Formats: sequence, structure tokens, C-alpha cells
Amino acid sequence: MPDWQGEVRRRLAGLRLKPTRETEIVEELSQHLEDRYEHALRGGASREEAYRAAVQELTESDLLAQGLSRVERPARLEPVVPGTPRRFGMLGDLKHDLRYGVRMLWKNKGFTAVAVVALALGIGANSAIFSVVNTVLLRPLPYREPGRLVMVWEDDTKHGFPNDTPAAANYIDWRDQNQVFEGMAAMADQSFNLTGAGDPERIDGKRVNASLFELLGVAPQHGRAFAAEEDRPGANKVVILSHALWQRRFGSDAGVVGRSLTLNGESHTVVGVMPVGFQFPDREAELYVPIAFTQQEAASRGRHYLEVVARLKPGVTLEQARAEMSTIAARLQQQYPEQNTELGASVEPLHEHLVGDIRPALLVLLGAVGFVLLVACANVANLLLARAAVRQKEIALRTALGASRMRLVRQFLTESVLLAVLGGVVGLLLSVWGVTILKSFIPENISQVKAIAVDARVLGFTVLVTLLTGLVFGLAPALQASRFNLNETLKEGGRDAASARGGNRVRGLLVVAEVAVSLVLLVGAGLLINSFLRLRSVDPGFRTDNLLTMSVVLPQQKYPDHTRRTAFYTDMIRRVEALPGVRSAGVTNWIPLVRQGDSIGVTVEGQPVPVPGQGKLPILMTRVVSPHYFGTMGIQVLQGRVFEEGKDRVDSPCVLVIGETVARKFWPGESAVGKRIAPGTPKSPEDWCQIVGVVRDVKQLELVAEPKPQAYLSYAQAGFFAPRFLVVSTEGDPLALADAVRKTVWEVDQDQPVSNVNTMEGVLSESIARQRFTTLLLGVFAGVALVLAAVGIYGVMSYSMAQRTREIGIRMALGAQQRDVLKLAVGQGLKLVALGVGLGLLGALALTRLMSSLLFNVSATDPATLVVISLVLIAVALLASYIPARRAAKVDPLIALRYE
Amino acid sequence: MSYIGSDILARELKKGSAELLILSLVEDQPRHGYDIGNLIEQRSGGVLRFNVASLYPLLYRLERRGWIQGRWVEQAGLRRRRYYKLTAEGKKVLAAQRNTWREFVEAIGRITGTENA
Repeated sequence: MPDWQGEVRRRLAGLRLKPTRETEIVEELSQHLEDRYEHALRGGASREEAYRAAVQELTESDLLAQGLSRVERPARLEPVVPGTPRRFGMLGDLKHDLRYGVRMLWKNKGFTAVAVVALALGIGANSAIFSVVNTVLLRPLPYREPGRLVMVWEDDTKHGFPNDTPAAANYIDWRDQNQVFEGMAAMADQSFNLTGAGDPERIDGKRVNASLFELLGVAPQHGRAFAAEEDRPGANKVVILSHALWQRRFGSDAGVVGRSLTLNGESHTVVGVMPVGFQFPDREAELYVPIAFTQQEAASRGRHYLEVVARLKPGVTLEQARAEMSTIAARLQQQYPEQNTELGASVEPLHEHLVGDIRPALLVLLGAVGFVLLVACANVANLLLARAAVRQKEIALRTALGASRMRLVRQFLTESVLLAVLGGVVGLLLSVWGVTILKSFIPENISQVKAIAVDARVLGFTVLVTLLTGLVFGLAPALQASRFNLNETLKEGGRDAASARGGNRVRGLLVVAEVAVSLVLLVGAGLLINSFLRLRSVDPGFRTDNLLTMSVVLPQQKYPDHTRRTAFYTDMIRRVEALPGVRSAGVTNWIPLVRQGDSIGVTVEGQPVPVPGQGKLPILMTRVVSPHYFGTMGIQVLQGRVFEEGKDRVDSPCVLVIGETVARKFWPGESAVGKRIAPGTPKSPEDWCQIVGVVRDVKQLELVAEPKPQAYLSYAQAGFFAPRFLVVSTEGDPLALADAVRKTVWEVDQDQPVSNVNTMEGVLSESIARQRFTTLLLGVFAGVALVLAAVGIYGVMSYSMAQRTREIGIRMALGAQQRDVLKLAVGQGLKLVALGVGLGLLGALALTRLMSSLLFNVSATDPATLVVISLVLIAVALLASYIPARRAAKVDPLIALRYE
Repeated sequence: MSYIGSDILARELKKGSAELLILSLVEDQPRHGYDIGNLIEQRSGGVLRFNVASLYPLLYRLERRGWIQGRWVEQAGLRRRRYYKLTAEGKKVLAAQRNTWREFVEAIGRITGTENA
């Protein structure tokens, strides 16, 4: 019987049908031909004639192909060999590459897991830090056209306060005389005792101009903003609540609007509730009342306590505003030479005011996580390179089957991007979790901390970083894998010495880069840790252990005069000191390191009094304290005595205790005790206060700065600053006594709120929260980089030792000792590390300068840090290369020689 | 000239009617390709003939359109054959085509006067 199948198949060849379909068609058509053939035979035809009759069916044979090609689709060949079927185009390739990539990753689960973890750490850290940067630095402030908002300060650079809080009279003149601002509003901190409903409570609020909310473009969520006429003395007392206070104290009841509250003993009507998250400028005030300057206040240029915000008119630049404000300030200087001498005005963009301090730290952290990601990339690239070496047979096969180099690079890049995407997804999950953790120990006074979240911009950033990451760590292995000698590889049955050597070189370079980048990070972290330790070991001038602190602020209405206040505090101190477990107690207007305080200008006896308009009185930070304050705080008395109960009374001559700097400054080489100082300019002999003692300087405002000139007055004598804080020295855990102390305060006055209960340790720790935050994070990042680098070195050394097993075997067979092999291997690792450390040191020298504003008492090129960090890194690297080296040295020469 | 003209007409007519012929033949019972080709030739008295090259692409196209459905059928002692049957959709198409064809032929007849011939 004729071969019908062959006849048909021959005619279908050009169609490239799917094999299964082709078989079907061939079967059906040859059946037809056979039927025709047999039919002809039965009709009496000869075999020859029958055959011709059948084949005639296939005449016009191209007609069959043509007809079929219109109906049958060509097969999508199962693309066994990527590279050859060019005609599928990029998209088809991509789909296939993806499928293939997934298969490869699934097959090597261990490798995939390690790579994904490394990438997820890198990408997650980047997303988490970026979400902080995004919220704090990039996202516009939640006010109307925030770019036009500025803060306006008094410029008292001469006394070290370039951005000082303005006095009311100056603010009013600025407001009335300027042409550059659309509006200006002032505010001042004020605390309120909220009494009546529930426990008495101390609440931090603000007095604000009625125009503030309109100026910012934020309206209350319930009720209304203040009316202009409510911003005048004697107007009805009104209050606007923050969202937080409204929730906490009033159970989110919208009916609170219109109700009355007792604040500082006076009834106030609630007119509004602010929306959630409203805070201005940075700290969260819990309630707002109109500032309503009294006539006396509005005329004062001596008390500087306002914060002033202004909105630039459209089209007015910052420079124009600065020039205008300087002109006005100069005019005021001439007009009021006594108070406004050397006093300028400065204009600061609101955003700068809010984030200026934290920006360098955040940018350094962002840079640092970028470096961590680079190290992670180098590590994964190394893993991929090692795997590419293993996959050489596969690559050779593909190349032999016609895959182009570009095609292979694309396949490899697809795999690495796929890996990066996996890492990115896990990383994003990590970052959501990381942001929660970050938020819990990011310093609270950073603007918008509560709003930090992973949003669309962070997502976009993550996607971008992920893709870039995939390309970065995929490119080297892809190029490496695609560049090798086909003949050699096939000849050597999958082992290609030359290309392996090339691969080793790239791997070596990656390790060098990893070490270098890790070193930069470690040096950065080392410098910060160094500064932080120095900061912690700064002697603050007082003890911090076993000290309980809390605010006890007496309301003006209930305690209007000095006598009544003194009586309260004296009674309170006596009762607290009687508590078991209490050593001593004292009060002061400001405890150290809360970044707030009072200062006064003084006249020093024997010193020339400055002529108005040509100089100012020396300024002393002034603390009004009770006698046991010094002992309680452990402030060392250097000379003379401190205040004494019963001796320094309101009716006895005024006495003063000064800090050592003041003594040295005005009475160098002689005793200051017995000398006299007067607050302000003395009008009568009673205004002079005699110095009775000299004490150690205390870091009153911050640990970082040198102590400023300081003095103490007795709380019994000085009525102009009222005490606000109670300090208690305890025998055991200070916080254990907090309740007892609070109850004792309530024994004296059951309506008196007690707030800010803390330990002195806690106060100090909060004052350096930002430094701790930066140090901790950079330390963690550097640690991650160090671990990644160690893993990288270990991986490269293990791989290299495995490759050299045979060589090592020969060496040992020829008499080399284990020691020699160890030396050889560790030496190889050391060479890479030394190169990396060298490059890293150069990088560190170049980059750590950028973080000098974050350092305290440490130079950005601190040699000790550089040396110690380099040694640490070298030690870790040695360990990482020693382990594989020892394994190599232990190998039995016989086995090594038989290897492969 | 007239010869070539009628030849073209025959080819176009054959093309136009082929689908209708195939659908009609598998209407009552499933048939295989050889059977269909044979029937067309016999019933048309040899006027219409489809060979392999023209018949099978047509069958596959109808199948792809979902008008007919092919199925391999095994019979004892014989090689398996592929039988085509009319689908539900094919039935609708057949009815429509029949209608069109009848109207067409009637119209042509009225014009050319061959109706009663």
C-alpha cells in the first residue's frame, strides 16, 4: 500500500502546525486517500490507475497548504531553547523567561530564600526610612499653601539667640508696619488646670490670635474658630479643644460645643473642636484660648515669649520679607534703644523651622540604608555568580542552540528582577512592620511623626528601588554568564577554568566593594556611638539617679500672690520630705534639660552699666529654688552657702547663689561671696542681692552646649518667677514613690494637678532622644551590613576553596602542611579585605564629613574610630575566611586528588 | 470568451454553496470526509467535485467556527475515522443559509426565466 501519510505530511511541512494537530490531519487525510484508492481498485482499476486517482486529490498540492494555513494556526512551539525562536518577540520571550525564572527559583529554594531575605532586609529598611523622610521632609505641611508660611523671630544673635521668641509690643509693631505679609498671628504656651469634671488635670495649651486658624487655613471640625472680638481683654472667655483632648476627656461628644469648662478657676465656653492631627507649629497643644493681649502686655518689649507665624503675600519672596523685617527692626531699635538694642528680626520658612534639626539625621539614615541595600545587592550578585558558574552547561547548551548573548542577558536579568520583586514584596511587609517600630522610638517632637505611614509614594519608591535593585545585582552575573568560551565549556564537560577565573575576579571585586561600603557604614555608626557615649558621659552638673520629678504649677487665680504660693510650696515640701523613702525635696521654676527656662538681665556691682542703645545688661539664666533643691539635685557647693529655711525670708535682705562661670567672669581670682548683683537696673539699695554662695555650673538647657552664666534666687524672696517643678530625692526606685508624692500634694490642695511625672534619668534620656534614635538606627544598619559582608566573604572563600580542592590536594601531597594551606587561603581573603578596607577608609573620609553636624566632641575623621572599626572589620573578615580555609586544609590529599 | 466566463461562474458558485452543501449533508447523520466528498459528487451527478485539498480546509473552518463538530470514531476491524456532525449553532446557520439560497435561486430564476425550465 502506498505511503499516504508521507505524501500528506510532505505537503504540510511548511505550515509548522502543532505536532498533535498535524498528526490528526495527516491521519484523516491519508484515510481519505486510502478510501479513494480502494474505491478505485474495487471499480476495477489497476493499482497504478488507483494510485493516480488518489494522488490527483492532492494535485494543486500548494492549494492544500494554502487552504489549511487559512484555517489552522501555526503552533506556538514549546520553546525549549530561548534565543532561537526570534519571531516570538519581546513579550513572548518575557512570558517564557518569567516562567522559566520561577521554575529556576523554585528548584533552588535555599538559594532563593537566602537572596530574598537579604534583599527584603535591604529594601524593607529603605522603604521604612523613606516613609519617615517622605512624611517629615517631603510631604507638604497640612495647612493651606504651606510654602508661604514663615516663622518670624527676634534676632538676638549677640546673646546667642538668632531665633528668639518676640515680645508682644515688637510683634504688634511688626504686624502693623509690614507690607509683605498677608497676615500674622502670635501664640504663647500656657498651661491650664482643668477642674470640675473628674480628676484635676494639668493641660498644655496655647493662647493664640483669633486669626491663627484662618491664617493656617484650618477650620475646626466642630463649632467655629475664634471671632476677632473674642481676642480682646475682657471679652467672653472661650476655648477650642484639640481633637485628642476632646476624645480623651469628653468622649468625642459633639455636644461639648457650647458647654462651659473651668480652666484655671475661670469658666470658659467651648466654641470649637479642631480636626484630628492638627498641631501647630510642632508640639501638640490640647486646647486653645484667644491671646487677648492686656494693655500692659501689648506695651511690653522686655518679656520675650511669643511664637509668631506669618503668611507671605502672593509673589513676595523670602528675601523681600527678610529685608522688610530688618528695616522695621532697625527702626524699632532707634525708637526703643533701651529694650531693642541690637535686636533684629529674622524670617524662617515654616518647613525649615519644623524639620531643620532632623533633616541631616534623616538624610544620613537614608544614605545609610541605601548602602545597606548595595551590600545586599553585592551579596546576591555573588550568589548568582556562583550559580551562574554551576549553570554553565545550561548556558553552553543554549548558546549552541543559537541563543544570542543579548538573549541570555535578558533571561538572567528577568530572573534577577523576579528575585528582586520577591524581595521587594517581603521587604514592603517588613517596612510596614518597621514603620510601626520606628514610630515608637522616633523623638516625639519631630513634626508629623504620627502621620508616618506607608503611602502611595512609598510604594512607588519601593517599586523603583526593587526594579533598580534587580538590575544592579543581576547585571554583573548576567554579563559574566553570557561571556564565556563555548568550545572550552563543552569540551571540558561543564567545567571552564578560564571563565571560572573571570568569575572569581568579579566575585572578588564584589567582596571588595561590600567590605568598603560596610566600612563606611561602620565608621559612620562608630562615630555616632562614640559621640553618643561622650554625650552620655557629659557631667551635667547634677545627679540623675534616684530623682523623681513632676510639675506642680499653681493657678494664678487661686494663688494670686507670692505669699500664698510660698506657703503652698513650703507646706508641700515639708510633707513630701516626711514620706518614708524620701531623702529630700525641692522646687524650682525649671528643672534642667527640659529645653525651657527663664533669664533676666542683671546689673553687677562694680561693672560699668551699659549706656542704653550701646549694649545690654549681662543675662543670667535664673532659677528660683527652695533651700533643699541643691542637696536634692546633688549640685556641688563650691563656696559659701546655699539658701536656708527661716533665714532667707521675704522680709530679710535679698541673697543670691551663682554658678562658677559667673564668678570667674566678674570676679576672676577673687571670691565672689559677698559681692552684689541686682536684677535689672537697681532703683533703690534694697534692689541689690548679695551673693552668699557659688555652685557648680549645671547644663540647664541641653547637654551639648557649654553651660551658660546662671544664678539662683530663693523661692521665698523672688516673686517674679513661680516654681513649677517638684524634685524628690528617693532612697529606692523613684517612680515607686510617685503615687505617694502625688497624694501628698493633694493633701495640701485637692484640686492641684500634678503632671509630667518622670525621673531625672528619664528627663535626661528624653533630651537626647534624637541622638539615640540616629545612633541606634545607624548602628543597626551597620550591623546588618557587617553581617552581610561577612556572609559574602564566607561565600566567596568557600566557593574558591572548593574550586581549589584539587590544587590543595596536590600541594599537600607534595608536602605542604595544614598551616601552609591555611596561610594560602586566609591570605587570599585578607588581600580582598585589605583592598576593601583601604577603599572604605577613603570613602569614609569623604562621606563622614556630611554627618559632622550630628557629632558631639568627635571629629568626623576621628582616627581612633577609623582604626578600631577597620580592625573589627578585618577580624570579622578573617574569621569568615578562616572557616572555609580550615575545612580546605583538613581535606585528605587522596580524596582531593580524586576530586572530580 | 463565453467558455471562460461560465467556468468562473461555476467556480464562484461552488465556493459560495460549498458550506451549505456540507452542512446539509451532515444534518441528518454524522459523516466522515470521504463520505461527504463522495455524496457531493454522486448527488450532483459529477457536476460538483471536491478533492482533499479543497474539502478538508473547508471542514476545518466550519469546525473552528463551531458549526460542525468532528469526533474520532473507532470501528471493529477498521481504522478510526473522523465523523462530523452538525452542532446546534450549525443548525441555525444551515436554516439561514438554506433560506438565503432559496430566495437567491428564486430571484435569479425570475430574472433569467429558468424557473420553470
